[in-house]
Amino acid sequence: MSSKIAEKVSVNLVYNHVAGTVIPQHIKWKTHVYTVTKVGLHYTVFQGNTLLHLFAVVNDTNYFLLSFNTKTLHWQLEEIADNVTN
Amino acid sequence: MQKQFNQLLPSWMHIDLNSCFATIEQQANPHLRGLPIAVAAYTTPRGCILAPSIEAKRFGVKTGMQVREGKSLCPHLLILPSDPPKYRFVNQALTKLFNEYTPSVSVRSIDEMLLNFDYLNSQQIKQMWVTRAKDSQTEPHSVDPARIGGYYARSLGQARGRTHTNNQLISFAQEIKTRIKSEIGEWLTVSVGISTNPYLAKLAAGLHKPDGLDEINGQNILSILSLLKLVDLPYIKERNEIRLNSVGIKTPVDFYCATHQQLKAAFQSINGYYWYLRLHGQSVDEIEWQRKSIGHQYALPKRTSNVSEVEQLLCKLVEKTGRRLRRNNLTAQGIHLSLGYEDGYWHQGHKLHDPIYTTSELFTASKQLLEQALPLNPVRSLAITCFNLAANLYTQTTLFHDELKKRALTQALDVINDRWGEFSVVPATMLRIQREGKVLDRIAFSGIRDLAEVVLKEDQQMEREEIY
Repeated sequence: MSSKIAEKVSVNLVYNHVAGTVIPQHIKWKTHVYTVTKVGLHYTVFQGNTLLHLFAVVNDTNYFLLSFNTKTLHWQLEEIADNVTN
Repeated sequence: MQKQFNQLLPSWMHIDLNSCFATIEQQANPHLRGLPIAVAAYTTPRGCILAPSIEAKRFGVKTGMQVREGKSLCPHLLILPSDPPKYRFVNQALTKLFNEYTPSVSVRSIDEMLLNFDYLNSQQIKQMWVTRAKDSQTEPHSVDPARIGGYYARSLGQARGRTHTNNQLISFAQEIKTRIKSEIGEWLTVSVGISTNPYLAKLAAGLHKPDGLDEINGQNILSILSLLKLVDLPYIKERNEIRLNSVGIKTPVDFYCATHQQLKAAFQSINGYYWYLRLHGQSVDEIEWQRKSIGHQYALPKRTSNVSEVEQLLCKLVEKTGRRLRRNNLTAQGIHLSLGYEDGYWHQGHKLHDPIYTTSELFTASKQLLEQALPLNPVRSLAITCFNLAANLYTQTTLFHDELKKRALTQALDVINDRWGEFSVVPATMLRIQREGKVLDRIAFSGIRDLAEVVLKEDQQMEREEIY
């Protein structure tokens, strides 16, 4: 089941200058902390002239779509889904 | 028996991203990998399936089926809505990667790209080889081809190449496949076809899916064609099959062995000769035709004969069309409206006296067409197209209308929408559908010329962001 959320969240992001990787590691949404196990896809979109970085990530059971607004430097949880999406 | 197949070395590579939308969704969400999924225009039972995953295809699920048909074949089929930004991003990433191999990359559709390696055959490369060989007092064959090709490629800009050998493109293709997995997404697979012209390269790319790599050349073409039916060939469907059957051509091998006079008789036009050239690996499809029209289409989730509802949707389509027209700095001197009904289409177009450019002009012209269609039957799709396009050069055509003021207003609105996002400022007619979120972002199945423009615009914006 997939749901649109569009709520602000806290994210721990790790940048590795050797590997050149940027990986969100923990997401705090409401009272829960979720540990990211894999980044599926990192892509960018423009909303007007604001660049958003979107991270499609998963933990053991859920899928999260996170957006990082490069103008405000805020993170938002856009979407969440369990592993059976219908 | 063998006709004269093009004797040049293959220089065209067709790359097809397998089950494009579904594979990208599986890339984004690893929990979906290995499951039968399908991306659909709407997730409702009557929604059209745009892309089934490789796993879903094994159950017989096909593009174009309704969601309920897909579910009847595969009860566990997971249906996802489409997410165009993801697909555009992957398309752009692929284009950037392919540009490292050749400067000539043509995006045929969201999941198909055509790469031309003619530069590897050029006289300049051969000349450079000979010159370097003389300089170093060695025989040509002892010069490291990779160095010469690399030098030429650097002189071309970004292209990375070597001198052309029989299996050069095969090794490029293998490297591209590996780099797609390591640099863009490990779940993405492509089928690659190589040949002496774009048509046979496309045919080769379709021979083994997913993850295929095939070359069609003068030695293997007959054996490959002997395994296919006429309708397996790209652009040959039932009607062309009937044409070919009428002159005794029943199989692809017959098609290949036919004379161009026979083919001219079958197609009743110059197309017969073009088919002859195409099948013999000769150049015929390389011309990039100029844009002739710009349009948008929308399939309604629920049929309606309510005129004001159709007008609102029309307004939004016109706004999108107008934005694209202006982004390309074009004007239109013709407009065409098409309404899809359950039992067919109503369509009407007209040429205009003056070129139009603003959304309000386009809306007025399209509303006049809509009035001719009244009373409406239940409408299931709506399409608007502008034609007779010309460069947007302002010329004073009338003393009484303040054209410059109108254009300045439109440009100001476009600047606001560029800054704050599409549809930040909209005509009042659109307010209701704006709230309801109708007319979703979609990707065309065939050509996506505007993608290049979007990429360019986004690159420029990226540069601006970096400067600030």
